Amino acid sequence: MANWPETTRLIGTRIPRLDGLAKASGKAKYPSDVHPEKMLFGAILYSPHAHAKITSIDTTAAEKLPGVKAIHVVAKAGATLRYQGDFIAAAAATTEEQARDAVRAIKVEYQILPHVVTEEQAMAAGAPAINRGGNVRAGRASVHGLSDQVLAEIEKTVNDLPAAEKDKRRKEEYEKAVNDVLGKADAVVEGTYSLPVITHTCLESHGLTAHWTAADKLTVWASTQGVQVVANELAGAFDLPASNVTVLTDFMGGGFGSKFGADIWGKTAADLAKKTGMPVRLFLDRAQEHLAAGNRPSAAGKIKIGATKDGKVTGLIADTHGTGGFPFPYVYEIPVSTRVHSDVFVNAGGQRAFRAPGHPQACAIMEAAMDDLADKLGVDPLEFRIKNLPTDFHGPLYEAEIAMGAELIGWREKRKPRGQTGTGPIRHGMGMALHQWGGGGAQDKKVSCTIHPDGSVELKSATQDIGTGARTVLAIIAAEILGLNPTDIISNIGNSTFPPGQASGGSTTTPSMSPPCYDAVTKARDELFKKIAAAVNAAPDQLALKDGKLLVKGEPAMSWKDACRKLGMAPVSETGSFVPGLSSVGVGGCQFALVAVDIETGVVKVEKIVAIQDSGLIIDKLTWESQVYGGVIGGLNYGLFEERVMDPTTGVMLNADMEMYRLAGASDIPEIIVRAYEPHEQKARGVIGVGEPPTISTAAAIGNAVSNAIGVRVSQWPMSPRNVLDALALASKEGKA
Amino acid sequence: MTEHDPKGRGAPGGASRREFLRGSGVAAATAVLTGQATAILDEAQAAAQDSGPKILKGEVELTLKVNGHDHACTVEPRSTLLDTLRDRLDITGPKRVCDRASCGACTAIVDGEPVYSCTTLAVSCQGKTIETLESFDTGEHGVPHAFCKDDGLMCGYCTPGFVTACKAFLDKNPNPTLEEVRKGIDGNICRCGTYVGVLQAALDAAKAMKGA
Ligand code: FES
Ligand code: FES
Repeated sequence: MANWPETTRLIGTRIPRLDGLAKASGKAKYPSDVHPEKMLFGAILYSPHAHAKITSIDTTAAEKLPGVKAIHVVAKAGATLRYQGDFIAAAAATTEEQARDAVRAIKVEYQILPHVVTEEQAMAAGAPAINRGGNVRAGRASVHGLSDQVLAEIEKTVNDLPAAEKDKRRKEEYEKAVNDVLGKADAVVEGTYSLPVITHTCLESHGLTAHWTAADKLTVWASTQGVQVVANELAGAFDLPASNVTVLTDFMGGGFGSKFGADIWGKTAADLAKKTGMPVRLFLDRAQEHLAAGNRPSAAGKIKIGATKDGKVTGLIADTHGTGGFPFPYVYEIPVSTRVHSDVFVNAGGQRAFRAPGHPQACAIMEAAMDDLADKLGVDPLEFRIKNLPTDFHGPLYEAEIAMGAELIGWREKRKPRGQTGTGPIRHGMGMALHQWGGGGAQDKKVSCTIHPDGSVELKSATQDIGTGARTVLAIIAAEILGLNPTDIISNIGNSTFPPGQASGGSTTTPSMSPPCYDAVTKARDELFKKIAAAVNAAPDQLALKDGKLLVKGEPAMSWKDACRKLGMAPVSETGSFVPGLSSVGVGGCQFALVAVDIETGVVKVEKIVAIQDSGLIIDKLTWESQVYGGVIGGLNYGLFEERVMDPTTGVMLNADMEMYRLAGASDIPEIIVRAYEPHEQKARGVIGVGEPPTISTAAAIGNAVSNAIGVRVSQWPMSPRNVLDALALASKEGKA
Repeated sequence: MTEHDPKGRGAPGGASRREFLRGSGVAAATAVLTGQATAILDEAQAAAQDSGPKILKGEVELTLKVNGHDHACTVEPRSTLLDTLRDRLDITGPKRVCDRASCGACTAIVDGEPVYSCTTLAVSCQGKTIETLESFDTGEHGVPHAFCKDDGLMCGYCTPGFVTACKAFLDKNPNPTLEEVRKGIDGNICRCGTYVGVLQAALDAAKAMKGA
């Protein structure tokens, strides 16, 4: 058991990242920048069709083109291509232009197969089956809050049925039981809410540069969030001892959950490099990045929820589907609920983990339903939420955060009830939402710390910096313990041969890496004290470090460097492991949005967002804030702009680029107020990650703000002009607006 | 609300999209055809020999003046400035992201004007002065330092484009308001969501540059 120091000099302050200047001056070399001698350029041929079989593939002409050194075919004759963007083959050539010519010259004949690319197409009666077991895979209904007796009775009813009917009947029985509860509610709303597929759109596309340094030794520069994952995969693919593969990722241009593995293109780059005996750089082009490199799956839910007139939710029934799953119900204490979820399969690139997988979808659907119910009850949605908070430690946490956020957005003074927002074309509205995340760390990671006789300090671990500032966080911890500055620390990460480090995902990096870093540096410091104590005529426990100096019995005795010189020739080097007490898991958080909606054009402008986030002890306030801002802006994109648009007829993605796949630019950024919720008891929890939580509730809060502004629910995200106008048109048809 | 035009993303450094296109390789492309259509070109070339556009084909020897140095390189007429810088000259500050003039990651400064180097042909830059961010002052008075101090970067892949657009913008607008900065860098996209730091960095850099 260990504790972070009570008072800190660096931890919790605003410290610019160590590699910030390298990035801002163009000197940082990303995996897609690295250019080993004799390197060849790769290009990829991918499926132009949503669903097709390759009947023949001929590379003869391509191989003869100038500069072409090798072609590697992955999808041979007979192979089935399951989506536009599916990998077929790659070429390596002296110049990139030549490599692109080469893949264009590969002759492929396709037998086009029927496709389904939208959920609607996939679920339609008579749709071509593209997945064994059907396009829609219904899960088993889950239930929460029914008494054992009721459950036993339901099981009795279901028991005698044939297997195929059991699930259906169980779902009906569960819904009947919850409907009994809802029947007694004072208000019940039913709504259908949906969110589209969005793509990660990493600015550095997926890929790597492969270099065989010997027949059985492979070095790659990979744009990855898991150097050791990629190393293990490549070692497996080429049957190499794991130690013969080195994956280097000094920098990487965004991953958001989509860049954990070597992928088929990574293996192909290594194959091409092997074939040609030369290093090969192979990265996806922008279109394939959208098509094949992962996405946040779609989500839709038919929700029925009810409450008593004093604002207590009594029950919920959810029938959800999407191209992936998500947790539900979300955040709130719901006494009785049942849910069934169906996965829908389409001929489009598959989902990957995406910043807080499943949560933004869950949050948007849950919070929309909560808001609609509050509206029906005629109560303030903020008060309504507070009445239904979870009963564990999160309850008071949310309450405190909601109070902070409400104050900063001006909820009590400025918010008007839904639809009572004036009569002009521009309507203002306010909305809010709550979120939750884990963000705990792994306990099997290591960091090494070496103190050299020249005073330099080196940390090593096979983690990497996905943009969160991981490198800097480690240096801050070391500098805090050693009484140095972060810039005095050499923080070496992004190398798979270093001690085992955490992959950058799930907000786990900082909580995984901080404890072993603390442990390594503390041990190295103690070892240093032991070694030099005699030379300064003191016992090791009479030594301390402060402001770059060695203190002996509390008095400054010499500089850090002079102290280290007393080591003679031998550095001290220690490896640190997980220590309990320094990290924790589980965060809340809430966000508020203020929007202006033009009801004539449907254009939504977000004017202000307030984000309140807890995450235990914050190591670097500056990079912590950047992560929260970044999460909010990601959520703003999800709330307003992003959507993978598939063409049902041709089966292709219509916006696999960066002009029609819209992301916010500087002019779209509202005023954003970020606050850490960090009273003493939060700090005492230790380190918790913050990458995911702040991106979860933004789209939900924006959706609620839009409904508040225009008086009707826009049930489809994003809050694009089309969806807003559709909602207004529907409401006016139904005589509601 | 009128400012919210989904298609109206400006070019880097505040030039309008139209002005930008005029200045970039798209215009030049009409005068330069790719190396593949050589057969037809031979005839056309004979006809157009002494008047009209100059026709290039095959491999072209080029000297580009980048960051104050002359760099000899061999390109194809279709090679972009971006690919030439990155692939042939190992000048990898400018990044390739969208590869079609919509994100700004590839921004370079040509004859004082910011351009999307992914849609500028290398052959059109012969004889021009090309600056990339590698040549910028990295001291306290420079734009890169402000980006670092204000954490206007996360993964950093968009950052070279933002830094370059910002520098080009500030060179022409040394006393910008926040709203002007927004417009000035509206041709750039960041996926990590660093805009708050970026805008602060631009304002701080404007002040710092005066101290230089
Ligand atoms: S790469 Fe040139 S604008 Fe995007
Ligand atoms: S910092 Fe990652 S894209 Fe801008």
